[in-house]
Amino acid sequence: MTAETLAQVVVSGLLTGMIYALIAAGLSLIFGLMDVVNFAHGEFLMTAMYATFVLYITLSIDPLFLLPMVAVFLFAIGVVVYRVLIVRALSVKVNSGMVQIFATFGLGIFLRGIAQFVFSPDFKSLRGTMLSDKTVSVLGVFMPLPQLAASLVCVVAFIGLWLLTTKTHFGRALEATREDSEAVALIGVDRHFIFAMGWGIGAATVGVAGVMLSTFYYISPGVGVTFALIAYVVVALGGFGSLPGALVAGLAIGLVEALTTLLIPPSLKQVGVFGLYLLVLFVRPRGLFGNL
Amino acid sequence: MARWGKARAGAVGVVLALAVWFGVVSFGIDGRVAHAAPTEIVIGAVYPLTGPGAQVGLDAKMALETAAEVINGSYDLPVPLGKGGGLPHLGGAKIRLVFADHQSDPQKGRAEAERLITQEKVTALIGSYQSSVAATISQVADRYGVPYIAADNSSPSLNRNGLKWFFRPSAHDEMFTIAMFQFFKDMQGKTGKPVPSVSLVHEDTLFGTDSGNAQHKTADAAGIKVVADVKYRANSPSLTSEVQQLKAADGAVLMPSSYTSDAILLVKTMADLGYKPKAIVAQAAGFQEQAFFDAVGPAAEGIISRGSFSADLAPHRPAIKPVNELFRKKAGKDMNDNTAREFMALLVVGDAIDRAGSADLEKVREALVATDIPGEMTIMPWKRIKFDETGQNLDATPVLLQYVGGGWHTIWPFDLATQPPIWSVGQ
Amino acid sequence: MATFSMPASLPAGLDLGERRRRRQALSGLVVLAILLVLPLGIGDVYVRNILILTLMYTALSQAWNILGGYCGQISLGHALYFGIGAYVSTLLFTKFGVPPMLGMVAAGFVAALIALVVSWPCFRLSGHYYAIATIVIAEIVYLLFLNWDWVGGALGINVPFRGESWVSFQFRTAKLPYYYAFLGLAAVLWLASYWIENSKWGFYWRAVKDNPIAAQSLGVRLFRSKMVAAAASAFFTGIGGSFYAQFVAYIDPDSMMNAQLSILICLPAVLGGIGTLWGPAVGAAVLIPLTEVTRSYIGGSGSGTDLILYGVLIMAVATLKPEGLTGLFRIDGRIKPAAAPATGPSGSTHAA
Repeated sequence: MTAETLAQVVVSGLLTGMIYALIAAGLSLIFGLMDVVNFAHGEFLMTAMYATFVLYITLSIDPLFLLPMVAVFLFAIGVVVYRVLIVRALSVKVNSGMVQIFATFGLGIFLRGIAQFVFSPDFKSLRGTMLSDKTVSVLGVFMPLPQLAASLVCVVAFIGLWLLTTKTHFGRALEATREDSEAVALIGVDRHFIFAMGWGIGAATVGVAGVMLSTFYYISPGVGVTFALIAYVVVALGGFGSLPGALVAGLAIGLVEALTTLLIPPSLKQVGVFGLYLLVLFVRPRGLFGNL
Repeated sequence: MARWGKARAGAVGVVLALAVWFGVVSFGIDGRVAHAAPTEIVIGAVYPLTGPGAQVGLDAKMALETAAEVINGSYDLPVPLGKGGGLPHLGGAKIRLVFADHQSDPQKGRAEAERLITQEKVTALIGSYQSSVAATISQVADRYGVPYIAADNSSPSLNRNGLKWFFRPSAHDEMFTIAMFQFFKDMQGKTGKPVPSVSLVHEDTLFGTDSGNAQHKTADAAGIKVVADVKYRANSPSLTSEVQQLKAADGAVLMPSSYTSDAILLVKTMADLGYKPKAIVAQAAGFQEQAFFDAVGPAAEGIISRGSFSADLAPHRPAIKPVNELFRKKAGKDMNDNTAREFMALLVVGDAIDRAGSADLEKVREALVATDIPGEMTIMPWKRIKFDETGQNLDATPVLLQYVGGGWHTIWPFDLATQPPIWSVGQ
Repeated sequence: MATFSMPASLPAGLDLGERRRRRQALSGLVVLAILLVLPLGIGDVYVRNILILTLMYTALSQAWNILGGYCGQISLGHALYFGIGAYVSTLLFTKFGVPPMLGMVAAGFVAALIALVVSWPCFRLSGHYYAIATIVIAEIVYLLFLNWDWVGGALGINVPFRGESWVSFQFRTAKLPYYYAFLGLAAVLWLASYWIENSKWGFYWRAVKDNPIAAQSLGVRLFRSKMVAAAASAFFTGIGGSFYAQFVAYIDPDSMMNAQLSILICLPAVLGGIGTLWGPAVGAAVLIPLTEVTRSYIGGSGSGTDLILYGVLIMAVATLKPEGLTGLFRIDGRIKPAAAPATGPSGSTHAA
């Protein structure tokens, strides 16, 4: 193996890792806020990709400029899902964790069905966007433009989320609600409002991921399933609710996945990723950055 | 004692709910059976209609419906039963199709096949796109003694399970693979340049695994070096490492076996990483789907795929044009490798039932065994349709097609070719 | 089940609790009697298939309920034990000629053993970390099986038909033997759950689930009791898997071990009521026929409406009846602590 091959594997792994991190960011945020794992996360991603597809076809606006529109759309979906579904699932006294898992699991199936109903199960792709099918080569290492752009968006998104959660008044309200949702109610903070905002922002983040993903990945009703498990592993590896954790874990998983293929058959590459995850978890039961 | 009563009511409620459920279910079924008129032959088709692969299933539905229309309607096409008007030896009985959804899951395929056999009383089953699902359907069909026509399953292991009721009119991947390597040899004869090496890349379910094994074996036998044999996880989020391995190995010909989603990702990733093999010779599947061309655009140019069908064979097969017209009216697209095979599957079984002169299953099986349809009566490049003792049609001559200028052109066998191959291997 | 009625070890006065248990035992007998004769009146193979699957998911979900419901360890990787069970008995049969009737016992023990190995490190993880770890471990084993040629890899294993026999548990087209096998398994698990609800172990597990720290301080050997729950749960799941392998006669990693199956195993318990005696059965009786019928009669259209219906049903139960469908019947007072103060100390949601 040449140095060039190794460099390519590392770079490709990191670029893929950035995408994983971006997809997982919203999941991590929602979990950190209210201890709910959204099992429809992959379907949120799928919805965002279809939204991008429809807007691109009908308005002929490049996906990059569709980012705000799709983010707002997903924000609305997140808020509605919280208000209609999650609130009720949370109201149960016993086993509420399990009920939430299945409420969102049902939502995922429902969204897949809707997608197939509206768009047919065929694979759709965006062609002729500003980014698509372009690639840059530095010293023989290829970096596809869509993935580079997605990495950039990923960094921006993480900085934005970090600023939002730590530096703003809203962020402090989020933090306080997460610490003790009963107590904040006493000081006039409507926790349902805060939670709904959290779901909105989480969904908007995965909306951004969906837009970027659709510039280079095919779109189908089942596309969310492909990425969902990786997203859960990223969030758990980084530590539930930790944004820096999600970023580091995403990169680590992308890299390990790529490097594993140098040692074992690629059909087993996820075994390397999952193995790493278990190893870390048995040493640090709450993930790399988890302190919940 | 109030709770006592409540609990009893609860238990009774559970039981009632159960009873109502099954009552509803069985009632629905009885209603269905009663509707079956004696003047029709019911054929079951088990395809993926939801989940991954669902588009292929929907296309199959159109293709089979087109075939049923040809049999039942009034046309005059040079195919078996092409005169229309139903099955002449059964007093003009019509073919009725019943579709079932196996969701790409072998166990659901098994359950649906069993339902079609016992409830719908189908005379034959047709399926199923995914070879892994065909493995269970063909087994159920064998246990019940109902013919299973593998329209578009290409896994070679399927007809080797010792099943009496399995019939496959089209070629399997070993036959296709042998054709590919024969093509390499023929090209060497033409250009004087041998194929020095091949890279294999295949997905990890039954189809890809079987195809990859066959290709590796055939390459070894032909003395062509396999420089990479990359098995990847189907529906992967990323194929960059896999493509990197292929690029590093740099075989002269890349031979992929992939369904649509992975085919799209594979070819896009190859372009991203600047990997361009001298030639791509694909085991059809995803590489012949419209969604694939829509997704990869110009990157598809020059890809060679094995096939059982090509629209440009029309001069050799007069039925192709009118059949394709019928299909296009229904589906809004041209027939492809899969839909053509599905179309033929219904004609083959319809022809057998007609010759049997009854829907008696044992007689239908005997008629299928005796099938002998000349190639000119099909829309395929096949020499003829005649099953060997395992139910395989060994005369299903494969063709190789090349995607040039936005369409498929037959390039091999040379006597059927409509264009010379664009081939730069060894140069 | 000699320990069937061991209320002696109960800590509190059981006037009302005892009555509740008698009531449950009676309802169990009634349901069993009905289920024993039910398939005799239904000759249709399709309906019998649905009945078999319903009983199978009842049994699997009851087995899951031991660990996930009573013990509160949410496992989302039970497909692992199911698949292991299926593979162990099938491999013993095809490679070594061991009849599946013996093989299924081995299947149960191997599954239990693997559960112990898996649980030993995993029980250090809490909540969602544990749940995701179980998914991931099941996924690893799934991938290994998919790439392991000796166990058939992606090609799977065709279980050869060697004639109708109970010893090899094979029947050409008959469904009743499988029906009664799964009914037997479900009944045994029902009895086990019935026993657990009132046993020392049951109290330990509920204590573990409701308040682990307090439970530990009360001297409950937390870790050991969880391990027992995991092993028991996996044992029965493994046996269920080996039954299923004989029933379908073809196994491959995709249909025996995929992640979707893990969800399907716990879904009935969630819909019916987690940690309740009747929850898994009620959940399965609603869910499985609905899944099968929607796929068969609506799925054929290919428009995705069956998925939409299925998703809506799950969401509807989760939002309208989040404590499970058994809440509608109120067979189990325990799951509605607020509504059932009359059940007294045996309403032990707050045992600690």
